Amino acid sequence: MGKKRIIAETGAGQHGVATATVAALMGMSCTVYMGSLDVERQAPNVRRMKLLGAEVVPVDRGGRTLKDAINAAIKDWARSVRDTHYLVGSVVGAHPFPMIVRDFQSVVGVEARRQMKARFGRLPDFAVACVGGGSNAAGLFREFVRRGGTRLIGVEAGGRSSEPGQHSASLAYGTPGILQGSLTYLLQNDDCQVLPVHSVSAGLDYPAVGPEHGYYRDGKIVEYGLCDDAAALDACVRLTKTEGILPALESSHALGFVLANVKRFRGRHVLVNLSGRGDKDMNIIERELGL
Amino acid sequence: MKGHNGLYLMGNYPDPDTFIEAAVRGLDFFDFLEVGIPFSDPSADGPVITDAAEAVLARNTTFDDVLGSVRRIRERAPVGKTIYAMAYANTVFARGIGNFAEKASGAGIGGVIIPDVPFAESERFIKTFARHRMSFVRFISPETTMEQIRKIASGAEGFLYFVSMRGITGGRFDLDAATVKKIRAARKCSPVPVVLGFGIADIQSARRALDHADGFVIGTRIIEILKDGGVDAAGEFFCAIAGGVGRA
Repeated sequence: MGKKRIIAETGAGQHGVATATVAALMGMSCTVYMGSLDVERQAPNVRRMKLLGAEVVPVDRGGRTLKDAINAAIKDWARSVRDTHYLVGSVVGAHPFPMIVRDFQSVVGVEARRQMKARFGRLPDFAVACVGGGSNAAGLFREFVRRGGTRLIGVEAGGRSSEPGQHSASLAYGTPGILQGSLTYLLQNDDCQVLPVHSVSAGLDYPAVGPEHGYYRDGKIVEYGLCDDAAALDACVRLTKTEGILPALESSHALGFVLANVKRFRGRHVLVNLSGRGDKDMNIIERELGL
Repeated sequence: MKGHNGLYLMGNYPDPDTFIEAAVRGLDFFDFLEVGIPFSDPSADGPVITDAAEAVLARNTTFDDVLGSVRRIRERAPVGKTIYAMAYANTVFARGIGNFAEKASGAGIGGVIIPDVPFAESERFIKTFARHRMSFVRFISPETTMEQIRKIASGAEGFLYFVSMRGITGGRFDLDAATVKKIRAARKCSPVPVVLGFGIADIQSARRALDHADGFVIGTRIIEILKDGGVDAAGEFFCAIAGGVGRA
């Protein structure tokens, strides 16, 4: 492609770290846009990006989270498109970005399906993943949607409450709208302005959702549920104590949904996508739990 | 003034009265007005216009409020001068394109500029606007291929918006040889004036725009002047630009 520079946006910092890593490997210069609120709350990943040689640009607009980081990256790219590639981190943005990101992430679903068959000799009854922009879910679901046999559940961030501004559940509470090049479900007010959002996890804190999730929901191909901040934190602690695995707060939403609906899932094979590790969330977890 | 030129103002910025007054005075000199409809996520705008939108929205300004001001401008401005709305896609789409079009045309808006709707996605907007006698303004940028330019330019309505540089509003004006060639190709195919926008801030850049195109749009600089010096400073600026560019 002849590009010398990579830019990306990041919420939780996972995609920023991955982008910074690949840029370091390829000897390309790298700029990562990150909402200034996320820079504060995901500090360990910011340090990793810097260590890898990336420039991390804090974005002070709007709610200072993922959406605002994407806006800043789009504006950079409008100027720099000639020598810069925009490596979008979620299944959002203009076509063909949602498709590209879904297809690269789909390796997760292909492998998970194969491993379930090898390990249990059968497909899972359910596959569950958290949905902010929705890339880990789109990646997990892709192969299961293509080949069937498993009920799919996406879990959005219920935040503190169902009040506007207190959650980031665009499929649950949003209406059709256009943001950042996608026609999708959008959290917006009566005057078509994008609403502020909240989630305890930076990676889910986004007022829209990948457009394919809207399609999945409308076509009843995937079911979507909610997990609030408190239930996600609970699930995070429970997995840590019972399995010694510290999941990211994003992934903890998927787990929290399963634990909250345990009657429905008891005795069934449930695949939960632990899309990230929670080391980056230690300061949030400590603060929220008063440790 | 020479050319087919427009001024851009953010709707109801810095306040409704100053906005209306600046628009009316501007239309003494300019041929058309672009009214920015404030949006929470203006992905084509630089910091100056983004700040202006945020300031207007912080006062809970609505789309209807801005249309109310447009109505008052329409009453005072010459009939032949078109008022365009520059609105982001969600502003138009989410309330229903037909509903948007009815309200906008009812307030005297003659055309709509939507920076985040590419030509390939424009059909549903063009059709609905046509029913309300509003034009859908098409964009060309330095990244548009010659083949696309011919296709986009040949059906253009209102004016053809040539984004003069790679980037967002408020950047530095710069035309390379390839871009000049594309402007020429666009003018050849377009039934309406080809107007340069993005980065034009003074007499010098306005003159250079007119060397190659049918007109120019000034936006960011006007917003800065309105913020610092109010409507009188803006009036002086309009007069200076018109004088500097020369008579038609």
